[in-house]
Amino acid sequence: MKFKIEGLTVYFPYEFIYPEQYQYMVELKRALDAKGHCLLEMPTGTGKTITLLSLITSYQLANPVGKLVYCTRTVHEMEKVLDELRRLHAYQEKEIGKEAAKILALGLSSRKNMCVHPEISGEGSRESVDAGCRKLTASWVRIAAVDNPNIKTCDFFENYEKKGADALLPPGVYTLHDMRSFGREKGWCPYFLARHMIQFANVVVYNYQYLLDPKVSGIISREMEKECIVVFDEAHNIDNVCIEALSVNIRQQTLEGATRNLGKISQVIEKFKATDANRLREEYNRLVEGLAQRGNLPVADNWLANPVLPDDILREAVPGNIRRAEHFVAFLKRLVQYIKGRLLTEVVESEGPLSFLNSLNKECSIDQKALKFCYDRLQSLLTTLEITDTDEFLYIQSICDFATLVGTYQRGFAIIIEPYDDRMPNIPDPVLQLSCLDASLAIRPVFERFQSVVITSGTLSPIDLYPRLLNFNPVIFKSFTMTLTRDCLCPMILTRGSDQLPVSTKFDMRSDPGVVRNYGRLLLEMVAAVPDGVVCFFVSYSYMDGIINSWNEMGILQEVMQHKLVFIETQDVVETTLALDNYRRACDCGRGAVFFSVARGKVAEGIDFDRHYGRLVIMYGIPFQYTLSRILRARLEYLRETFQIKEGDFLTFDAVRQAAQCVGRVIRSKADYGMMIFADKRYNRHDKRSKLPGWIQTHLRDAHLNLSTDMSLHIAREFLRKMAQPYDKKGQGTNATLLSQADLEKMEQMENMQA
Amino acid sequence: MGPEEDGTNPMDEDGDGDAEEQGRDMEAWEKAYAEDRSWEALTEDASGLLLAVDVTQQQRQHRRRFAASKGPRIQRGIIRYVFVVCDFSRAAAEADFKPSRMGAVANCVEAFVREFFDQNPLSHLGLITIRNGVARRLTDLSGSPEAHIRALRANLECSGDASIQNAIDLARGYLSSIPSYGHREVVILYSALSTCDPGDIMDSIAECKKANIRCSVVGLSAEIYICKTLCDKTGGVYSVAISESHLKELVLEHAPPPPAVAESAVASLVRMGFPQRGAEGTVALCACHREVKLGGGYTCPRCKARVCELPTECHICGLTLVSSPHLARSYHHLFPVPGFEEVSVQLQSMGKFDVLRLCYGCQQELPTAGSKAIAGVRLECPRCKQHFCFDCDVYIHESLHNCPGCESLVK
Repeated sequence: MKFKIEGLTVYFPYEFIYPEQYQYMVELKRALDAKGHCLLEMPTGTGKTITLLSLITSYQLANPVGKLVYCTRTVHEMEKVLDELRRLHAYQEKEIGKEAAKILALGLSSRKNMCVHPEISGEGSRESVDAGCRKLTASWVRIAAVDNPNIKTCDFFENYEKKGADALLPPGVYTLHDMRSFGREKGWCPYFLARHMIQFANVVVYNYQYLLDPKVSGIISREMEKECIVVFDEAHNIDNVCIEALSVNIRQQTLEGATRNLGKISQVIEKFKATDANRLREEYNRLVEGLAQRGNLPVADNWLANPVLPDDILREAVPGNIRRAEHFVAFLKRLVQYIKGRLLTEVVESEGPLSFLNSLNKECSIDQKALKFCYDRLQSLLTTLEITDTDEFLYIQSICDFATLVGTYQRGFAIIIEPYDDRMPNIPDPVLQLSCLDASLAIRPVFERFQSVVITSGTLSPIDLYPRLLNFNPVIFKSFTMTLTRDCLCPMILTRGSDQLPVSTKFDMRSDPGVVRNYGRLLLEMVAAVPDGVVCFFVSYSYMDGIINSWNEMGILQEVMQHKLVFIETQDVVETTLALDNYRRACDCGRGAVFFSVARGKVAEGIDFDRHYGRLVIMYGIPFQYTLSRILRARLEYLRETFQIKEGDFLTFDAVRQAAQCVGRVIRSKADYGMMIFADKRYNRHDKRSKLPGWIQTHLRDAHLNLSTDMSLHIAREFLRKMAQPYDKKGQGTNATLLSQADLEKMEQMENMQA
Repeated sequence: MGPEEDGTNPMDEDGDGDAEEQGRDMEAWEKAYAEDRSWEALTEDASGLLLAVDVTQQQRQHRRRFAASKGPRIQRGIIRYVFVVCDFSRAAAEADFKPSRMGAVANCVEAFVREFFDQNPLSHLGLITIRNGVARRLTDLSGSPEAHIRALRANLECSGDASIQNAIDLARGYLSSIPSYGHREVVILYSALSTCDPGDIMDSIAECKKANIRCSVVGLSAEIYICKTLCDKTGGVYSVAISESHLKELVLEHAPPPPAVAESAVASLVRMGFPQRGAEGTVALCACHREVKLGGGYTCPRCKARVCELPTECHICGLTLVSSPHLARSYHHLFPVPGFEEVSVQLQSMGKFDVLRLCYGCQQELPTAGSKAIAGVRLECPRCKQHFCFDCDVYIHESLHNCPGCESLVK
């Protein structure tokens, strides 16, 4: 269908549109018009992706704006976005003709997902694929291969290079799979082709990292124009992603590995000195001129760029004391030695970057300026030394990463040294953590560089906290609810067991046998009343282990298994995948199954339990973060001082968004239905409940608060019977959940009349 | 794991208990009123007197429902072979249906069996129960309602798991041997929420599909994915009951013959015998009970064996034995009386129908335009053009299956 929003013609590839999608488009368009950032919350299952794509591409057709940069969290989501876009594009072509609707849209991912080289692409990890690729495509390898045909190169890369600037993708929509098959067909390397084509593309879909992690964004996203529209989808955890991008952990083995790396580098330096001293001298001269040279290097040699904000120091010359290769190696050795010494501590130490720099300066006379350049200096050195197996040099790279971050930022970071893990105080496992406390540091360049940044997700509540956390001013922030033909959501807050005793995972209550038993009875009653799949989320792995053990001893687990099979998420990815697979099979064949999982775990973040795979989610307790963690303490303190966010507010916000994320797994579309039980008396309190997303709160009727097990069982039974009845999918009158083109035109006329 | 932060104000930590009463659920008796809202249908006139409920509207609504269930004239499977599967697993002991799910199921099955043979005199029915994960055949495919009901009443106990696969495999074993003109169906009344199967149930479903067995499920608790799949794949109907009365409604929906499946709908001739009733006082060896019986009974026209009741298959020569009323009773499914059409008020007011003042069926006065004395709709048979009242319309279509007007036309 085709309709107008405030004068903009929007092409939408489906015959009907949900009212909230229309509202979403209106708000989004206003934000784009105002050339500002916006924050939009809309429940999952209402077609956010197609709404975004449809409006923004239509906007691109009508106005001269830059690319659409669409950031997703996983490769799977990326493929879904591109598939939707393909459908949209086909519709646009039909409506306005092939020429007018011409776009180029492509996905970009790591080499592991894009490589088509027969041997390299079979490698297991991302790092080994990267290193394998470099071994074949580094400039010096290729130069050597010209003289010596025995040296292997990558045919795909060679062919691509031969074509040079003529290697172009014809317009269209390309998923990763399409890129690979196109690459195979033409004999071009899809990874480098994609990177090259980004500058011509109208729509680019890639991972958050490519924009947020300064190491990566420096090379990939450098050439984006200011008019770009950036979208972060599923962005409820965006602050954590930002923080992770700027945090470094250094352990004992990191240091040992770094020492090994340095030894190897020294050897190579010696060798070069004997054979090719010129190279080192050339490098020295380059460094004198400053790091701006990086742009001159061939594409393939650009490993990872500077973790600092690019403009800050690029034009400065590298300090004299690390210009010479051997001096730099000695410098790093001192640094590693110093950190080693720090790790020997018996007590936990916590300090800011400034005091760390100070003591570093005093003890090893290493100054801040030199530290700042570590990362670039190392890259330059590794390039000069023609080292290709980069995966082996990860250790020294993370040390330099650390050095540069410490050297660059004086605020918003904390350095915490812990001699052992709190949970196992007898085993020494010292770790030095450089922890970023301020999520706005990583995302600030994005906000500054691009005209419109859209942050959207199904759960962004409370929506006013995000602008403060990320330190930006959205022109529009809004939360949409879902229109439904029937009440297919049934959230409940359970505060008591059948014996009327309160249940909670508060620390002083959680190991109480009464609470454990009441939780167990709840599960037991529910598995007997709910068909197919049931998912349970616990607050942590250790709590889950404990409670499952107790249930086993009480015989509850055996009774549960009479009704449904039990599957458990573990920290092992392979095991969990297998468990999930079998869980789905048990749901499919009618045996029924329960899945025990952990909030904040892999399953809670990325796996959907839609339709019969999840008719009920039980959230046991409130998934607060581990509050004794020193990093969290430091971050809370920082938030309080810098952004005036109260500790309790932030912790509750974080816990409730995780809980909402967990229970949101059950409902993925409007035709679906599911129940959610929040099993903790604390959810009944207003400060917790009010932080749940709007689309849950609207369905949380008074009758569903403060329930005991038997009451919720009654509600569950009735709900399931009601949902099993046939219903009218379209809805009628004020209840309408689908709008046709005619409806929209009518709405527009009404608005015009009012205006 | 260490202690957790617990919000900011620990004071109202145990603040539950006060606000709980206000959010209580309604009592069951309240709900019946709150949900029906029967008072909203009442209207008052200017002086505050209650107006009579609009009879015409009500009658129209009833007719609309009836027309929707009727659908266009289609080929239907008249000769049906149906297995009714009752799930008497652990879950059937639940008392959310009164007296228990099992009791409710038994009552419904009893009503269904009677209704079934009333509507499908040529068809056969058998009972299967699931208990302890095993499916057991209670009664063989036969035509006598009393035998089924007796067997069911004698077997009311429940325990163990349920298994859909065992049930449909068992039913398939019996159904696959019946002649090709018969329509094979399985109707499952399922209390449990899961199925404990010995093998892959998908294979069994595929086999059922291949054998043209139509499986329908009436659930008692919630929608189960595998049941939905089973019904979708085999062309059956899946429904879930909300209450006892709804359960009965859903079960009885399976009594009229279903539309014939396209591939099995080839016309074929069936050899049937119309046995004579034996005279009172004759003594004969009964073929079904294998003992000497006095009087009554029917004699197979081909082999002269004696059978006790009709319809059945002759135990000696295998001929299908029916009586002609049976055929006639099945007939109406194939050739339903055409739906009557409502005569609009405008046409009435043109004075065209003054002659047809009385209902052709009951000779009562029909509503006319202008006069308010008799409320309701006026209906016309499209074939004989006679007019009928609403009550006669219902009687003709739901019970009589003959239009008196058409029958008395001079041919």
